Amino acid sequence: MKLTALFEQTLRTLDRAIGSGSRQLARSASRRNLLTRVGTLLTGAAVLPLLPVARALAADQVDELGDPQSCDYWRYCALGGSLCSCCGGTYNSCPPGSEPSPITWVGTCRNPVDGRDYLISYNDCCGKSLCDRCWCHNTERERPVYFPSKSSAVLWCFGTESRAYHCTIGVVLGEAGPQG
Amino acid sequence: MRIVTSSLICLALVAQGAGAQLGPEQPGVATLPPPADSWFLVKSSNGSYIFDGETGEMQGLMSHQWYTPAVVTLLSRGEAYYVESFYSRGVRGTREDVLTVVDMKDLTPAAEIDIPDKTATLSFRHHIGLLGDDRHVVVFNMTPAQSVSVVDVVDREFAGELSTPGCAIIMPTGDRAFLMMCGDGTLQYIELDRDGNETARTRTDSFFSVDEDAVFDKPVFTGRGWLLVSFNGLAYEVTEEEARVEVAEPWSLLSNEDVGEKWRPGGDQPFTVHRGSNLLYALMHQGDVDTHHDPGSEVWVFDLERRRRVGRMPLETEASKLLSSQEAQPRLYLMHEDNTLGIYDGHQLRHLRTIDEPGPRGGGLLQTLARHD
Repeated sequence: MKLTALFEQTLRTLDRAIGSGSRQLARSASRRNLLTRVGTLLTGAAVLPLLPVARALAADQVDELGDPQSCDYWRYCALGGSLCSCCGGTYNSCPPGSEPSPITWVGTCRNPVDGRDYLISYNDCCGKSLCDRCWCHNTERERPVYFPSKSSAVLWCFGTESRAYHCTIGVVLGEAGPQG
Repeated sequence: MRIVTSSLICLALVAQGAGAQLGPEQPGVATLPPPADSWFLVKSSNGSYIFDGETGEMQGLMSHQWYTPAVVTLLSRGEAYYVESFYSRGVRGTREDVLTVVDMKDLTPAAEIDIPDKTATLSFRHHIGLLGDDRHVVVFNMTPAQSVSVVDVVDREFAGELSTPGCAIIMPTGDRAFLMMCGDGTLQYIELDRDGNETARTRTDSFFSVDEDAVFDKPVFTGRGWLLVSFNGLAYEVTEEEARVEVAEPWSLLSNEDVGEKWRPGGDQPFTVHRGSNLLYALMHQGDVDTHHDPGSEVWVFDLERRRRVGRMPLETEASKLLSSQEAQPRLYLMHEDNTLGIYDGHQLRHLRTIDEPGPRGGGLLQTLARHD
């Protein structure tokens, strides 16, 4: 019973507010101007649902999309190895107890969300047995082993306690320059 | 009467069965026959499987590590050599790298030669090379500083380490020398003396661009020298004579029509040469730039003398590794994407047989027992 009363009260308040607003609008705007503004509002309202990424960016600052356990994830464009995100780690964190190699190879990948190219460091995670899950062999701008800084065909567990290879992560170093 | 007849037949069958009863046995060990030209290796993550291409039968296994880059064999000494990198506790503990000497009579280790704990540890045919003196094996190191270890396999000792900054891939040439590919688009030539010490080192002019059209790090031995092929299909023939390294004018594997149809070479082991008939076989696929590791949907055959394509073999299942035997009538071995190994006649370009279980899936190499592939 109380809920019904509250509902009727809300409707009356809304009715008064809309009536008052309409009268104010009629006093301050011509009919053509009114149509223009309403049209703009309606068009904007129609377009807004088409831009979920933009809304998400505005709301939660989501700046990457995709499945980090998939070889197609944008950071992995030059990654060769087992994905750490399938091995107890994430796209940029080694699985528990493994050690990231401080020396890496570098790729340049385009983030489809912002359309920018980023330098990606592919750090091997070391000191555990081969994870052997989610193998990935992407070769965008990858180069042969005699040019190691851009080669995935190197076991990059250098400077680590053990050279045993576990899996690989992709860490954003920053936006790429014009040469990539 | 019928009952009596049936009973007699039953008794006869029982008596016959009793005569065929198996006696007790002792476990035996098969003897490996002498290696044949039709033998080849499937180097995998847990050892090198030896198959006979003629029968498709496995002959035996050389046990080695996942980290072993490749195997070199020296049949005149009845030995094979490969690098192993051990940790005292599996994946942890103290590291110890060795060159393992394998007796080809029974595929067991005959000796270990201690080498610097720096070896590059991924499958690569040319991270190890046997020099022409049949004495020195050169092993590629990466820490990530690049160097090579020189090992005397006759005296069973480490001979020394040479720094090779900016270069990788070992291509033996002459009696006691090797070439390396370098990131500045050159080849490096290093010559050794009998003790494995460096006596000469030179560089060619830069002849390719790593950025614009890198050559694959998968050279193939032609008998005269080495053949290098670029991502865009340019073939460079390299020869060495008296320390002079010549890089011939490149020629293209691709016609304008092929380029229009986006054909490219690619795969993990995309090229092989049958030296007897001077034929180059290449795994080809249709793809964009940077698809140099994509498996091939066709094998193309090129006459190296006339520098032109002489055959095409479409594949039912794509393949990423390719190797030719060096028999007079070559056999082609193709590792297909479904992890079966197809054996084909290299001249008639027709399927001969399939090995369904050539070893663990993925990785690895196909190798002959010749000193170079």
